[in-house]
Amino acid sequence: MILVVGLSHRTAPVDVRERLTAGADALPVVLARLAARSELEEVLFLSTCNRVEVMAVAARGRVEPALRAIHEELARHGGVAHEGELAPYLYDRRGDEAVTHVFRVAASLESMVLGEPQILGQVKDAYEAAVAAGALKGTLRRCLHTAFAVAKRVRSETAIGVGTVSISSVAVDLARRIFGDLSKHAVLLLGAGEMAEAAARSLGKGARAVRICNRSFERAAALAGEMHASAAPWDQLEQELVQADVVVASTASRAPVVTREMVKRAMKARKGRTLFFVDIAVPRNVEPAVHGIDNVYVFNVDDLEQEVARGLKARHSEVEAAEKIVAEGVTEFLAWTRGLEVQPTVVAMRTKARAVLLAELERSLAGRLKHLPETDRAALTQMVESAVGKLLHAPTTKLKARAADGDDAAELAAAVRFLFDLQEIAAAGDKARDEGRTGGAGDGDDDDRLPN
Amino acid sequence: MKLELLADLLFGATAAVYLTASALFIAFLLGRGERAVRWGPRLIAAGVPLHAAQICVWSLVLHVCPVEGVHFSLSVASMLVCLLYVLARTRLRVDVVGAFVAPQALAFLLASRFVGPVDSAPRLQSALLPFHVVANLLGLALFTLAFAAAVAYLMQERRLKQKRLEGVFERLPAIDALDRAEHRFLVAGFPLLTIGILTGTIWARQVEAGGAAEIARAALSYASWALIGGVLLLRAAAGWRGRRAAYGTILGFGLTVLVMIFYLARSMMGAGA
Repeated sequence: MILVVGLSHRTAPVDVRERLTAGADALPVVLARLAARSELEEVLFLSTCNRVEVMAVAARGRVEPALRAIHEELARHGGVAHEGELAPYLYDRRGDEAVTHVFRVAASLESMVLGEPQILGQVKDAYEAAVAAGALKGTLRRCLHTAFAVAKRVRSETAIGVGTVSISSVAVDLARRIFGDLSKHAVLLLGAGEMAEAAARSLGKGARAVRICNRSFERAAALAGEMHASAAPWDQLEQELVQADVVVASTASRAPVVTREMVKRAMKARKGRTLFFVDIAVPRNVEPAVHGIDNVYVFNVDDLEQEVARGLKARHSEVEAAEKIVAEGVTEFLAWTRGLEVQPTVVAMRTKARAVLLAELERSLAGRLKHLPETDRAALTQMVESAVGKLLHAPTTKLKARAADGDDAAELAAAVRFLFDLQEIAAAGDKARDEGRTGGAGDGDDDDRLPN
Repeated sequence: MKLELLADLLFGATAAVYLTASALFIAFLLGRGERAVRWGPRLIAAGVPLHAAQICVWSLVLHVCPVEGVHFSLSVASMLVCLLYVLARTRLRVDVVGAFVAPQALAFLLASRFVGPVDSAPRLQSALLPFHVVANLLGLALFTLAFAAAVAYLMQERRLKQKRLEGVFERLPAIDALDRAEHRFLVAGFPLLTIGILTGTIWARQVEAGGAAEIARAALSYASWALIGGVLLLRAAAGWRGRRAAYGTILGFGLTVLVMIFYLARSMMGAGA
């Protein structure tokens, strides 16, 4: 069964989220710890500015222990003494709900900035990290692939990303409300990642100048070259704060890179000119106390939520269309998983029929038909194979179709097992279907394992 | 008789225009009349010539120069506020300051007609008087606009610090534009205030005015000059912008209004004597 445990901008403030985020250095560590837990068959760790989630497949019959294991590892990763501290902020999803959640996340329907394009890239990065760590097998891999397809459909078939209230556009809007016309104001980007690039594209259009300051000067220079901006060395950050009017901070630093004292000195040099920080990094790059300085305004990711909510209202019809696509994707995926759940019965049925007929043929060929030449023997074997295929085609397709519809496939599979005396062979695979459909609250004998 | 009727008609028309503009701006600030508010600045622009005509006709009726007497001065000052607003609003992008300008113009217009008897016979004539009054009126008009911008700035600043970005915040101009407008109005008004105070000091010496009330009024004038000068100096030298400058502007405007109240009181007492 697929599980999701995590927290997001909706359930946890930024000071909690920033404790659980995993940068490029920490991600393999936490992923390895999760993958090493015997309660989890597959695992993926997603860490963005607004969301930290563990997507996993529970080991057979161990849903509750799997959830506990994820909670424990999250607490350990966040340096939380007692896992109960995180409990108020964490949510659990399981079964169909978890699948729907994964699809909604990838399609940006769970994003703080509805329709923003970055989340899909972030989920893909998390997927690749999980693949590299050998933490993905069949179910979650297929789930993510379907999620990517759904997200692409949402972007191409709806206007959810058109005129998106992205973090960048919210930053531009806020900057305009503070400065009016941006053409006389300079923008400074701290960090040269994907978010900085998006901000540069939005803010660079109207601003007098765009400077990019990054720990890696080469990366800053490369981005500056693409954006018609200029790069600044990291050690000149304070001087850059004197020149800039809008600062967009999005570095991966675990500690604030802009401190109150630094800004106070800069404001003195600026002679009190207004300075506006958009801190879209998690953990935050700008000390919260900076907002208390006169003529300085700091807005972090949480502060943008209200603006985003308004964008959400404006695109309500697009959300409905996107939700339909997600629902179709979920149905398709669940049909696939349910089809796989009756697969052992189908395989067992065909194997048994084939084995019985081939055994009978072998007996005849050894007795009355032993005079037949090799070519005729081969033709008879081929005929038996073909007969098995044709005879079992209808029950196979009907059983799979029922499973895909989520109807009474379990009963039908049980009937097939009874009629063909297959119980011992196929029971385990078929039983898992029921738990998957109902959410599997208990520690049932579930099995979400799929062939690679 | 005909002129009196014309003066009354112009007065009524001006008051109606300012009243409508005020209502539109207030409705806009309350979140209604998004489109109608476009007419607010236009109505104020239409009110200025009506107001000017009303002042001229009324001065002909009363045989009083428009710069003489506090009642006329109030009316002229409010008309100048509207004129300066119309001239500056597009350049400084502070259309919504009209929400302060229109009601004050209406209030001053009504006050000029209905508050106390008209002091139509100034006792202390001097060649400096027109310069003194015109400079003071223009200065007061500019400080009124600076005051309006400062109040709007403080509202915006408070909302930004509290991160409440809905409602009035969306309707008021950009906070930096308000700060800039406030500064420019102060910069423009300060030389006029200086001229007003200099001419007032010389005039007071000429007519040997030296009562306690006059001394207090003069002291208030010097205090307002020093305060506004200080606000401008600290902004240039020490970066006192934004909230500090806004508080200084409001205080400076308050002092100039107190000076006007002294004038008004003296005028009413003089007329009553």
